[in-house]
Amino acid sequence: MRILNKMFAGVVAAGIGITATAAFADDIRVGITMRMVSENGQAYGQMMMDEIKGINESGGINGNMIKATLMNDECKSDKGVANANKMVFQEKVHLLIGSSCSSVTLPIVDVTAKAGVPQLVPHSTNSKITQKGSEWIFRVPVSGRYYGGVNAKYVGENIGTKIAYICAADAASVGDCANMEKQMKARFGVEPAYRADVQEKEVDFRSHMQKIKSMDVDGILVAALAETMARALVQSYEAGIGEDVRRIGSSSASNAPVPKIAGDAAKGVFFTAAYAAADQRPIAKLFNEMVKTRYGIHAPDHDFSQAYDLVRIMEIALKNTNFTGSLADDRTAIRDAIANVQGYEGLASGPISFCAAATPQCRDGNRTAVLIGYTKGGENFETEVLARVTMEPDFGLE
Amino acid sequence: MLQINDVHAGYGNLKILRGVNMQVPTGGIVTLLGGNGTGKSTLLKAVSGLIPLMEGEVLFDGVGLSGMKPHERMRLGLVQVTQAKEAYPAMTVEENLVLGAYTRRDRAAAAVDLERVYEFFPVLRERRKQLSGTLSGGEVQMLVIGRGLMAKPKMLMLDEPSAALAPKVVLEIFSNINRIAKTGVTILVVEQNVRMALILAQYGYIIRDGVIMMEGEAKKLISDPAVKESFLGGSVANSSKALRK
Amino acid sequence: MGFDYNSLLAFIIFGVTIGVVYGIVALGISLIYSGLDIVHFAHGEMYMFGAFFGLVLAHNVGVPYPIALIGAMVLTALLGMAVERVFYRRLTRAGGGYTVAGMGMIICGFGMSVALVNVAYFIWGAEAEPFRANLDYIPRLSFPGDIEVPESYVLTAIISVALMAALHYFLRHTKTGLAVRAVAHNKDIAYLMGINVPLMISLIFGLACGLGAAAGVLIGPMQSVQVEMGYLMLMKAFAAAVVGGFGSLPGAIIGGIMVGVFENLGAAYISASHKDIYAFLLLILVLMFKPSGLLGVDAKVKA
Repeated sequence: MRILNKMFAGVVAAGIGITATAAFADDIRVGITMRMVSENGQAYGQMMMDEIKGINESGGINGNMIKATLMNDECKSDKGVANANKMVFQEKVHLLIGSSCSSVTLPIVDVTAKAGVPQLVPHSTNSKITQKGSEWIFRVPVSGRYYGGVNAKYVGENIGTKIAYICAADAASVGDCANMEKQMKARFGVEPAYRADVQEKEVDFRSHMQKIKSMDVDGILVAALAETMARALVQSYEAGIGEDVRRIGSSSASNAPVPKIAGDAAKGVFFTAAYAAADQRPIAKLFNEMVKTRYGIHAPDHDFSQAYDLVRIMEIALKNTNFTGSLADDRTAIRDAIANVQGYEGLASGPISFCAAATPQCRDGNRTAVLIGYTKGGENFETEVLARVTMEPDFGLE
Repeated sequence: MLQINDVHAGYGNLKILRGVNMQVPTGGIVTLLGGNGTGKSTLLKAVSGLIPLMEGEVLFDGVGLSGMKPHERMRLGLVQVTQAKEAYPAMTVEENLVLGAYTRRDRAAAAVDLERVYEFFPVLRERRKQLSGTLSGGEVQMLVIGRGLMAKPKMLMLDEPSAALAPKVVLEIFSNINRIAKTGVTILVVEQNVRMALILAQYGYIIRDGVIMMEGEAKKLISDPAVKESFLGGSVANSSKALRK
Repeated sequence: MGFDYNSLLAFIIFGVTIGVVYGIVALGISLIYSGLDIVHFAHGEMYMFGAFFGLVLAHNVGVPYPIALIGAMVLTALLGMAVERVFYRRLTRAGGGYTVAGMGMIICGFGMSVALVNVAYFIWGAEAEPFRANLDYIPRLSFPGDIEVPESYVLTAIISVALMAALHYFLRHTKTGLAVRAVAHNKDIAYLMGINVPLMISLIFGLACGLGAAAGVLIGPMQSVQVEMGYLMLMKAFAAAVVGGFGSLPGAIIGGIMVGVFENLGAAYISASHKDIYAFLLLILVLMFKPSGLLGVDAKVKA
């Protein structure tokens, strides 16, 4: 029966290039669309396929095999939507996974909502994704609305509220700065002690540092792309701002060039992420080891960990689904099974839980961000986990 | 001392000198006369090596100069005094003079020569720390001659030393040139001021359109009716025009 | 809130310390311009190569920082001389003598700039490299109002000023320096003075590129070293050279300091997000009121 099915599927696939069956049989069809342009993207896409293969080899989902299709959207929304349409309507997948770029995920939300296909988001942080009110959307990573808040909460409670901001002109850093500023104001009622909007590739921060030094601030937020951030960090020490003034990095701080270029100046810099390679839990250590040996990546970042967690959550949900053979019923059943995932503890910075309501509170699964600090700069940098901060479910919602 | 045999030269495809023959004997003063655009300056450039020869040869003390760079010719003692406007205005008088001795290795002797130049031209000593751009026309002319002397020349080639100078100053300059000749330096003066040059020199060449038109003893040339009529009159007019500038 | 004079003082001090670095690069550009009548568009790459040579000497070879500085200057000077001898001289010759102003030379300069950047990519890659120098033996300078100037800035200022002084001494008080000035003024007369003009031209190029390299090694510890660092420095140094008066050596230094101070003040009191614009704003202002630059060499004197 299964062989026949495969043969049949092969015939169809020959025509449309994908695997498909006329009705539910033994296979559970999963479509994945992701950005696979970078080396990192290629590697974690491959990792998801390998993990699914692993599930199949160890007996599948209650005896059924998962048929996964991986497509590349290059982080372009038109390609992502085309991929989603193809997989939802032609391939008739039970579940869609994607995308890794918010700009791609946002329009796909409408496709899956209309078609009634459950969608799991691996690595898109834009808070609007879950605010569209779709019943079919589930976000595994930490929503962007939590990030600025986590930074602000930690800084305000542990470091102080007198913060100087150095904000470079690239899009990511502008956003990081604005979020932090907003949250510091909302939570502690403070304005920046100093704010400098510098050029994207500024090379000379000395005047700003001199001024910041004279202000006796508690911390400096450096929001900039990696190389610019590294220069600012180095120059902050040259200006004589002591270690007691904490340096806070923006999201680019997780990039390897920061500790490499900044060297000793990277020590003590901390930033928010959803996974820390320095995580000491056995599961994290195993994961790091696996990624290193299989894909040659030195220290996996949260893109990797979230892709991995997503597969595990999918596995749990699928195992709790009663397949009937009716595509629409099965899709609904999978959706409800995902909504029932509670307290999943994997690699992520905190437990992931979903619930039935089509609200961001229910569908942003991970509300715990991890604060990572560099303990050593240079080529062989080291990090530590400073804190895990869990936010209230409705944090950051207007 | 200097022998110019059938020299053809010019710039690019433009040939200006078309077979010039000249001789400057040791110890004498020879003048090369001609109006604007006759090839005087081109000949000087060809002799000092700033432009290559197309044909012919130049011998100095019996040595062929072809293939030698300007600074190598200078080391032989063949020194060109540039036009007065070609002093370095942003350098002091003394720096200009020191530059004249650039090719010399004998520092002590050069210092002695500097003193000699100052004795020759006391006004230069007075102005030694001044920028040469601030000197008067006659003073600059003395400076470039003095700069030429600093190279310890066997032969000096002067390019229009009377240009744009008042007659009284010209007289002073020319008497100085005469004094230099008396110290044993061979002199070639290129001039437009025909009358003054022929009084100074023993022998003269007249160049026109890139060839030597006439040559002879200076005394004879000055009284030659052909020179007087066709050339001398015009050139006096030229020089007085230059004076009015 | 009263006006904060301490900050103003700090902005000016930091402007001066970066300005002297612009100044020594501008000095090289001016030197080449006055000596060869070439506007050298690849000078930013000499600065970049200097920084990398310094980095390699200090990190890979392991020599002390001052020796890395000198070594980088020498190596870059040799590189510059080779570039001039092999590539530029053909063009200058084609223009007659050793001077040519014109499109050919400008395009050649740009081309050389692109070529050198790509060579550097090939050797060192695109990633920024940290340049760590141990400068603890240099004291910090303290100014009234709790303004402390870090070691590296003190060093930058001292070395830049020392280089300028050395160049001044060389040009004013040595025979070779005199010859360089003579060549810069007029090559034909320099020939008649018995000066080996081609050699002097090589020397001018070497000096100018060595100065650029010094700037690179001085900036390296502050800003990290990257193959595309030359472009921005070229722009700033150009602005400095033009503000001071193209071809004027004291003008280059004054222009450099003015650009440094002006852009720091602009960043502090107008907006820091467009800092690179201020150099050109200054440039336009100066050109509007004094087209030859502040200490501009009179064109007639130069010709």
